[in-house]
Amino acid sequence: MDDKNPIINISDVLEYEFCPRFIYFIYCLDIPQHEELRFKVLEGREIHKKVTQVNRNYIRKKIGAQSREFDVFLASQKYHFKGILDEILFLNDGKAAPLEYKFAEYKDNLFRTTKSQLILQSILIEENYGKKVDRSFVCYVRSNHKLVEMDIRQSDVDKVKAEISDILNIIRTGFYPKTKKNINKCTDCCYRNICT
Amino acid sequence: MTLVWVIYDIVKNKTRSKVVKICKDAGLYRVQKSVFLGDINSNSRDSVILEIESIIDPEADSVYIFPMDKATFEGITLLGQAFDKKYVSDEIITRFF
Repeated sequence: MDDKNPIINISDVLEYEFCPRFIYFIYCLDIPQHEELRFKVLEGREIHKKVTQVNRNYIRKKIGAQSREFDVFLASQKYHFKGILDEILFLNDGKAAPLEYKFAEYKDNLFRTTKSQLILQSILIEENYGKKVDRSFVCYVRSNHKLVEMDIRQSDVDKVKAEISDILNIIRTGFYPKTKKNINKCTDCCYRNICT
Repeated sequence: MTLVWVIYDIVKNKTRSKVVKICKDAGLYRVQKSVFLGDINSNSRDSVILEIESIIDPEADSVYIFPMDKATFEGITLLGQAFDKKYVSDEIITRFF
């Protein structure tokens, strides 16, 4: 990767929100997190594959969808990030919305990382398709495919954009950021053995 | 972190060995032939449940996964060839034999 002009993934922003040190370990020290060894990650990837193969003509008309695209790779030149979107819904009112499948159970509220993921996806759709995005959806596979809607607010978009510039700053300068210092997060972190 | 018991009765040897491996990989301790116990976080517990669910035969096998709070764990009575309570609850980080 070009160190002066890095392009990050959507998942990097989510990892940064989990703990800013992830960016340092992955990009500055080049130590991968080996998420592919985790069962839930593998199972989630299988679900993503299935979604694109099964019932391809199904369109969610209840939420006003007209057509959809699966597994779309999009990149933003303006904000230097890229990502693959599970599904883009084109709505009746001329707008579009991202739909993300999660191999998880719905726990009555959306995680901050899920919210950011949807916001980043909506930025990508707006930039690449030129359509307005003000809604987004998450489908929780392990809660009987429950569909949850989230509005995209400008204040949240601005927050996520600020996080992207923080991440790019860490990669460009090699700055060692502070941890989140959350015991629950640290016990489940793959870098716990090398983190100070 | 919560203490979790995994107790199973599995017909096929191959499936049983796989369940043993899953429990050991998650950091659980074998306290009896078909009983595992250990202090693991909720994400690991969720992963253990999903992994075991994907390999067992629900018509023939049974697996119980019980969470237990620390206070109840302290009240356990052990007789005979018992496990080391401190070791299982991860109070002893390293053990020298």
